[in-house]
Amino acid sequence: MLFWVIAAILTLGASLAVLLPLAGGSKGASAAGDHDLEVYRDQLSELDRDAARGLIQPAEAEEARAEIARRILRLGNADPAAKAVGPSTTTRLVATVAVLAVPLISWGFYSELGSPDLPSQPLSARLAKNPADSSVDELVARAEAHLAANPSDGRGWDVLAPIYLRMQRFPDAVGAYRNAIRLDGESAARQAGLGEAIANAAGGIVSAEAQDAFEAALKLDPANPKANFYLAMGLAQEGRVPEAVAAWQKMLGTLPQDSLWRGAVEQALAESANKPVAAGEPAKGPDAGEVDAASSMSPQDRQAMIETMVAGLDEKLRQDPRNAEGWMQLVRSYVVLGKADQARDALNRGIAVFGPDSEEARKFTAFATSLGLTATE
Amino acid sequence: MVETGHFALVLSFALALVQTLVPLFGARTGNPRMMAVGGPVAVTGFALTAFSFAALATAYASSDFSVASVWENSHSLQPLIYKITGTWGNHEGSMLLWVLILTFFGALVAVFGGNLPATLRANVLAVQGAIGATFFLFILTTSNPFARLNPAPIEGRDLNPILQDLGLAVHPPLLYLGYVGFSICFSFSVAALIEGRIDASWARWVRPWTLVAWMFLTGGIAMGSYWAYYELGWGGFWFWDPVENASFMPWLAGTALLHSAIVMEKRSALKIWTLLLAILTFSLSLLGTFLVRSGVLTSVHAFATDPTRGVFILCILTLFIGGSLALFALRSSRLTAGGLFHPISREGALVLNNLFLTTATATVLVGTLYPLALEAVTGDKISVGAPFFDLTFGPLMLPLLAIVPFGPLLAWKRGDVFAAAQRLMAAFALALAAVLVTALFVDGASVFAALGVGLAVWLVCGALTDLAVKSGAGSVAPAIMLRRFAGLPRSVFGTALAHLGLGLTLLGIVGTLSFGAEKILSMRAGETIELSGHTLRFEGLYPAQGPNYSEDRGRFALLGADGSTISEITSAKRFYPVRQMTTTESGIKTIGFSQLYLSLGDEATDGSVVVRLWWKPLVTLIWGGGLVMMAGAAMSLMDRRLRVGAPSRRRKPTGAVPSAGLP
Repeated sequence: MLFWVIAAILTLGASLAVLLPLAGGSKGASAAGDHDLEVYRDQLSELDRDAARGLIQPAEAEEARAEIARRILRLGNADPAAKAVGPSTTTRLVATVAVLAVPLISWGFYSELGSPDLPSQPLSARLAKNPADSSVDELVARAEAHLAANPSDGRGWDVLAPIYLRMQRFPDAVGAYRNAIRLDGESAARQAGLGEAIANAAGGIVSAEAQDAFEAALKLDPANPKANFYLAMGLAQEGRVPEAVAAWQKMLGTLPQDSLWRGAVEQALAESANKPVAAGEPAKGPDAGEVDAASSMSPQDRQAMIETMVAGLDEKLRQDPRNAEGWMQLVRSYVVLGKADQARDALNRGIAVFGPDSEEARKFTAFATSLGLTATE
Repeated sequence: MVETGHFALVLSFALALVQTLVPLFGARTGNPRMMAVGGPVAVTGFALTAFSFAALATAYASSDFSVASVWENSHSLQPLIYKITGTWGNHEGSMLLWVLILTFFGALVAVFGGNLPATLRANVLAVQGAIGATFFLFILTTSNPFARLNPAPIEGRDLNPILQDLGLAVHPPLLYLGYVGFSICFSFSVAALIEGRIDASWARWVRPWTLVAWMFLTGGIAMGSYWAYYELGWGGFWFWDPVENASFMPWLAGTALLHSAIVMEKRSALKIWTLLLAILTFSLSLLGTFLVRSGVLTSVHAFATDPTRGVFILCILTLFIGGSLALFALRSSRLTAGGLFHPISREGALVLNNLFLTTATATVLVGTLYPLALEAVTGDKISVGAPFFDLTFGPLMLPLLAIVPFGPLLAWKRGDVFAAAQRLMAAFALALAAVLVTALFVDGASVFAALGVGLAVWLVCGALTDLAVKSGAGSVAPAIMLRRFAGLPRSVFGTALAHLGLGLTLLGIVGTLSFGAEKILSMRAGETIELSGHTLRFEGLYPAQGPNYSEDRGRFALLGADGSTISEITSAKRFYPVRQMTTTESGIKTIGFSQLYLSLGDEATDGSVVVRLWWKPLVTLIWGGGLVMMAGAAMSLMDRRLRVGAPSRRRKPTGAVPSAGLP
């Protein structure tokens, strides 16, 4: 409401700035000639000063004086002063159009562009309001501000870490879990959460680093479902599907009936029956059509099709080798297919493309190690 | 507040349209009421734009992330000063600053233009309004700083770290004051073309505006150059980067305009040329805005990129440059040429100055646009850098600089080169001595160094000679000389200071390029490095935490002859986590006019750090010279004569003409 009042006042002021000069009395502007005369007069006196200082020779000064005088004489027959005119029909018409144009254009444009109902939202006001009215984002920001001021508050990190995880801010979650473990010590939940954050930050791949965290969690609580689940997932990603299935089966046997993990485990089991890799499938995998085709085929045909796809990827990388994602996908595919030699070969080729000292090579090696593979045999 | 600011911006657009059309129509039909509309509307438009800018700055200062541009270019942890300067550290906000300055200058014309002929004033304000209207439309349709986000994000994306710096807080406003200041000269030129006549008071008005714009542009370029020097960590002060050239071209053309406007003001000559130059200068300012704002360049200035904006600015460019030049072609024949002069005269010297400066502008223009044109046509990316400009721009500048001291010593209308040369004998002797000293004692191998130092000394001494001659040195007693010195017009000081500043800048450039030294090595804590007689000891790397960054500070101790620590130099590598960017904070120690410049490189695994150390002799003179030039312009602005020109209604015009002036 206040906005509309201010907008109306501003519009009124702007319209008046247009209207008043048009409606006001004519001031009888001085003729252009008067202005020129003043300038010429000044030029003459300046010429005198320059001549006195020796900046212009006497003969030239005389010539210049004559030039200026000729200009002054020319002024005599120049145009007379602009007439002071009263309000004519044209003036009234222009005044009406101009004054109307201001509100019409501004309100028209603003209604297209503006968001009049959206109030200003200074950050301090948003963070100061009642927590019950705040969104999750605002609560998190508040907690972050608190932790920026008190970075050694382990409990704060412990609370924030799972929230980050749920908000899919995985790198932040990794940092928060690490801080919580450093400040408040290890616990199965924290280690398992850390592992989950690391795995998700890497796009779902259970790396060696994530495995370490899960194993640390299991040391504290051998029945921790999250750690067991992800470790099995890691096995599946390494191509050790039967072992993964066994681990999941075992979980189903021990998990309480109302555990939320049952659904996840059952789904993973179902997927592992259909697909060689359950999780961590990157976006560039086979498209849905191909997978559908694969699942309705006989096991031999399916294996053949998967091998064709992998061969296709291999071929693509020979054409266009500077594709780090592609190399990692290829290495994993070979591992999944149980072709360790070819996987190692692909890994070495990938490292050769980027050079053994490159960032990518280091990434490849770490990735391969997490799959249980070493670069050179 | 945000939406009120948005509304005020839209209202300013509407007013700019009225400011364009009504006074223009009034001037055509000779209607004083319609002509009078320009003034109040211009002032109101400025007030509304200022309000709008204040609303945006408030949104930035209070981290209102419901505003899209705040979200994109700010972060709640930034220090308050960078939250505020972030307002113009991005495309949308900087365009708003651009029009704010434009309307500010328009309002100044409206307020102080009472002594202008009414039609001229109306036309000037109309042209100014037209420029404003197109830029308001550009902002509202393609780069609206008030675009909102709903729901509002809780945290912003941070301002580009290299822009989180005081230098960048000051540089754009100064540069824009310069760019946009030339819009007034442009508006005056187009107004004169619309009217088909140049009033005698025209030059009186255009010259101070040129001075103001030139002064700010000089400051803006110097500031930008210093910023690049210390913030980018390369130790260079000028890169012939297209963005730098974009500001340098209006400066060169503006310098030419400044000089030709003197001739026009004092002698009513070179009218048509001055008019064209004013149009070209502002066109180059617009071109600069286009180059930087459209994103056709990818360079150190990591700003916005969006093709729709580029096309829009290109249309603005075509409209104003094409339109004004077409108007010039149609109308310039109706303008009368002015005073006569001999080739050897002050006027002649200024024409020569203009020839050199415009040619130099053209070479920079070619060097800047050719790579773009080539890329557009063939797709090849080439870079035209220092070698091109050294070969083209350099040879053009050398003769110009050599004749600079002659100009102020030549008489108007008909000068005497021989007499001027005689007066400059002392300056010439000193310059020659400087050449010999440099060649014999400092660096005998470099002809460039010796001649460069000589030229710089020649410029400085030439400027001082001018002051000495004008206060009557050699012909009158010292007491009288001192009195005459104090009584010299401010503009004489202005000229001398500006030329002196040019000499200082040249000295700084030559000193840095010829006598500088550089060392790059890998250091561990405790090791020392020696360069040009200065010894530094690396004390080690210390981590530190800033408000929105973490840094590794490398501490270095500057050692005296006896091995004691004289002072400490710190250089840092900063990491800004939000943008995942690293910046280098160079460590600079100023010794006299020279500087030790230190920048940290990468840290090796064994704990050693790559350190680059430069010795930059006289480097501060480069920007100090710029400051002196600004002081010269300010001095010239204070000159009494620039305040005259208003007809006094009390006096009868006829009786006031001095009889001595009539033939």
